[in-house]
Amino acid sequence: MAVEYDPALINKVFEVTDPVEVKADKIKRYCAALRETNPIYTDEEAAKKGPYGGIVAPPSFAVTFRNGRHFFENVPRFGRRGFDAGKDVEFVAPIRPGDKVTLTSHVKEIFEKTGRTGTMVFVVIRSTLKNQKDEVLAHIDHRFMNRT
Amino acid sequence: MTKFDQINIGDTLGPLELFVSKDQCRAYAKLMGMGEGAGRFTDDEAAKKEGLPGMILPGNMSLGLLSKLVTDWIGSSNAWLKQMSTTYRVPVQPDHAITIHGFITNKNPAEQTAEIDVWMENEEAERLVTGTATVEFRK
Repeated sequence: MAVEYDPALINKVFEVTDPVEVKADKIKRYCAALRETNPIYTDEEAAKKGPYGGIVAPPSFAVTFRNGRHFFENVPRFGRRGFDAGKDVEFVAPIRPGDKVTLTSHVKEIFEKTGRTGTMVFVVIRSTLKNQKDEVLAHIDHRFMNRT
Repeated sequence: MTKFDQINIGDTLGPLELFVSKDQCRAYAKLMGMGEGAGRFTDDEAAKKEGLPGMILPGNMSLGLLSKLVTDWIGSSNAWLKQMSTTYRVPVQPDHAITIHGFITNKNPAEQTAEIDVWMENEEAERLVTGTATVEFRK
């Protein structure tokens, strides 16, 4: 039996966060936490000669922006318990110090899968990161798995 | 870092051998502003109460480490990590040796992209986190 849900849920934006300014110090501490040494992320002088003309954040910095207060209450639940099953991230443009980043989130898809351990319902939430110029920086698809 | 026409399907990235300490894991969790309810990332006892063997790495930290394998390979060239997908299979514990591997599975000359399988293993070669990455070789 196919999973039942309100089709109006799909593509409906449920959250737009307030802008968060990217501080150079946060990029620096992020790099330290991951033991990042690539000079295009860590060395201002070397980064100026690099492909982006200055320091940028490592691409994975995109996943550090917090969802808003209403994010989890808007993730549809099915069955017993939900798990974070993984992420699909599309990196569109580099994130730079001084960028003011917003996240806009909607339910991208809901689908059912049956495997060896039973039936699971996957809910995919897409968050799009934009900067103050309305340029897309990244799309993050959060995959939540529910056991029915 | 090599150019698009110098890479081949089957080429490997890494391995990147890492030892993530509990303090490093806590520093990451703190930086992310993880507070109440994040004990599994900062405290062994809190993690055990949730049925885990001890503290674990946040999923996003694993994603960051898998990405690092690819961006280390890219170096300071203008190749671009275009996509990264991760699947969390087994909780990753700090204070254990972990190794991150990559393997080029496909090349697309029209788009100048390479597809890469990436994964994180523990000491027993158990795959804890698996994923894929796409790198675009920009002119």
